[in-house]
Amino acid sequence: MHEYSIACEIYEQVIATARAHGASEVRAVTLQMGRLTHTNPEQLKFCFDVLAEGSIAKGAEFLVEMIPPNVECECGYRGTVDTPGKPAGKSEEDRGEGGGKSGSENGNETGLHQSELLEYVAALNCPACGRAARITGGQELIIKTIDIETEAETEAETDNKF
Amino acid sequence: MLMHVINVGHDVFAANDKLAEKNRKSLDKHGVLAVNIMGAIGSGKTTLIEEAIKALKDKYRIAVIAGDVIAEMDASRFRKLEVPTVPANTGKECHLDAKIVEKALKEIDLKNTDLLIIENVGNLICPVDFKLGEHLRIVAVSVTEGDDIILKHPMIFKTAELAIINKIDLAAAVDVDPEKMVSDIQALNPEVPILLTSKHSRESLDLWVATLEAGLESR
Repeated sequence: MHEYSIACEIYEQVIATARAHGASEVRAVTLQMGRLTHTNPEQLKFCFDVLAEGSIAKGAEFLVEMIPPNVECECGYRGTVDTPGKPAGKSEEDRGEGGGKSGSENGNETGLHQSELLEYVAALNCPACGRAARITGGQELIIKTIDIETEAETEAETDNKF
Repeated sequence: MLMHVINVGHDVFAANDKLAEKNRKSLDKHGVLAVNIMGAIGSGKTTLIEEAIKALKDKYRIAVIAGDVIAEMDASRFRKLEVPTVPANTGKECHLDAKIVEKALKEIDLKNTDLLIIENVGNLICPVDFKLGEHLRIVAVSVTEGDDIILKHPMIFKTAELAIINKIDLAAAVDVDPEKMVSDIQALNPEVPILLTSKHSRESLDLWVATLEAGLESR
C-alpha cells in the first residue's frame, strides 16, 4: 500500500500549483494513470480526500483517466495495446475510454485495475505478432490538470503580469 | 469567482525516476555495481545475499542497503559478515524508493565500494513502480510460494533483469514444478536469465555468485 505517500506528493503539488495561480479553491484534480502501475485509483482518491480536509482542495473532484500500455516489439510494432490479446484499435469496448471522462464513468476502468490487472499484464503481448513485447508506456502517474477558482481581483493581478 | 483549468503535467513516478538517475550517476562515478533484490517475504533474499557476500567479500568491496519496514534483523545478519550495512527502514512503506536510497548512499563510502547490494522490502508488487538507480533488477521467488506466483505478479517478472527461483530442494515437498515457473517467467520475459537455486546446493549458489561476478567484471 503506497497510495498514501503518492497521495501526499499529489496533494503537495496540487496545493503549490493552486497557490501559485492565486486559487481560493481547487474544484477538481485530473490524473492520468498508466494501467500498468500498481496504484489503486480508489485508494488514492481516499487518501487524497483525507489529506485535502481543511485545505483549499477540500471536496475537490478527483478524476483518474487510465492510459493504455505502450509496447515496442522486435517485429517493428510500436504502439498501444488496447486489450491484451487483441489487435490495437479493434476493441469496441475500449474505444473512447480515458480522455476527459468523469470518475463515475470510469468505474469499469477502476474495476479492471483491481481485479484484472494480473491477467492483463500476463497477456500483454505484441498486438501484431503475439510475442512478448517491451513495455514503453503505461506506467505513468501524471497530474494532468487542476480546476481552480480565483477571486476576480487576483485574476486581474495575474493578467497584469502577462 | 473565476474558474480556471491549470495544466500541471507533473509525473509522480517521473520525479522518482529522476532521483534514481541521480543515484545511478553517483554510483557510476565511483564504479559501483548496484543490484536491487526484490521478492516476497520468505523468498530467501537475505540468504542469497549472505551467500554472495561470503563468496565475494575477499575479492570485492561490498556494501549493503537492507530495506525493511521497521526491523533491523536483516541488517544485523549482514553486519555479522563484516560488510558496511545501512538499514533503510521505510517506516510505513512497502517498497524502497529513490529518495530512501539517496539518503542511504550518503552513509556508504562509494569510493571504496565495488558492489552495492540493495535488499528491497519483501513485496512482489510495490517495488515495481520505483526505480532506485540500480544497474540490475533481480527478483527472487521461492517454490514454496506456489507455482502460480509468477502469473499472479507478472509486472515484477516482466521488468526483471535476472530471475531466481529459490528453495528448489523443497519443490517436491510443496508439489510445485519449477519448470512451470521457468516457462511462466519466459513467457512474460523471454530474454531474462533465470537461476534455480537452493541454499543446500553449492553448485546453484556458485552460479548465483558467478552471475554477480560477471556483472562486476564487466563494469
